[in-house]
Amino acid sequence: MAQADHLSVTFAALTNPTRRAILERLAEGEATVGELAGPFEVTLPTISRHLKVLQHAGLVEQGRQAQWRPCRLRAEPLRDVVTWMGRYREFLGQSFDRLDSYLQQLQSPSGKPTAEEGR
Amino acid sequence: MTRTDLGNAATTMYADGDELVIERVFAAPRELVWAMMTAPEHVPHWWGPHGTTTDVLEMDVWPGGAWRWVNKFPGGEAPFRGEYVEVQQYERLVRTSVFDVAPANSGPAALETVTFEDLGATTKVVYHTRFPSPEVLSYALAQGMTKGALEQFDRLAGLLAAA
Repeated sequence: MAQADHLSVTFAALTNPTRRAILERLAEGEATVGELAGPFEVTLPTISRHLKVLQHAGLVEQGRQAQWRPCRLRAEPLRDVVTWMGRYREFLGQSFDRLDSYLQQLQSPSGKPTAEEGR
Repeated sequence: MTRTDLGNAATTMYADGDELVIERVFAAPRELVWAMMTAPEHVPHWWGPHGTTTDVLEMDVWPGGAWRWVNKFPGGEAPFRGEYVEVQQYERLVRTSVFDVAPANSGPAALETVTFEDLGATTKVVYHTRFPSPEVLSYALAQGMTKGALEQFDRLAGLLAAA
């Protein structure tokens, strides 16, 4: 399932606090590698390594033109994570709705559960 | 910890720090609600979204016991499996959960903790899920909620409200 594979790459990229801080900075707008390194007590090569991980995960893209090559946030992989969470919530939420109906049926005077499937 | 509400009137869902929490009060005594989650004959009647069915292939409800359930929907199926970690009758059920499809099943499992609170005629169920990368999930959620980076979030919220 390519979707799950993609998610695990996104997760791995996001588990690092420096990389999350970089993404938060980029959520406000493009920035060069030098600008990104500014607030952190890390070297430029370290920032570049983090950027490579983020680029590999598709979370950041870097412009080709100009020597500044500004970095830009790509939101799509984040959206995948949120969508995936949403599916999980939906799965459990709907299960609980069904459990509610099933419990009502079990406790009704006839006490006979009827097929609920296909609602 | 930030608490982000995601639920509807019947079900409370929120992200609390590193966990997704779903709460619901069921109009049934605690022993009965406990049976729903621990007796194999009950599971197919409720587990899974509307319009789906579930086959219970394995369900050994004791610490170290395995469970394997397959949710079937038109055009496909979603297999899940895991292991029961803690079984405290009527009170608390802890188990691991893996979406059993490669490569998702090679990663770490989610940990589900279900508690049952006796409110007399009703029972409050609190369903915690700790995902393999909890901080990541809260981060993604925060991005979606505050920065508008995730344009589909409204659509998602609509789906959840309808669930």
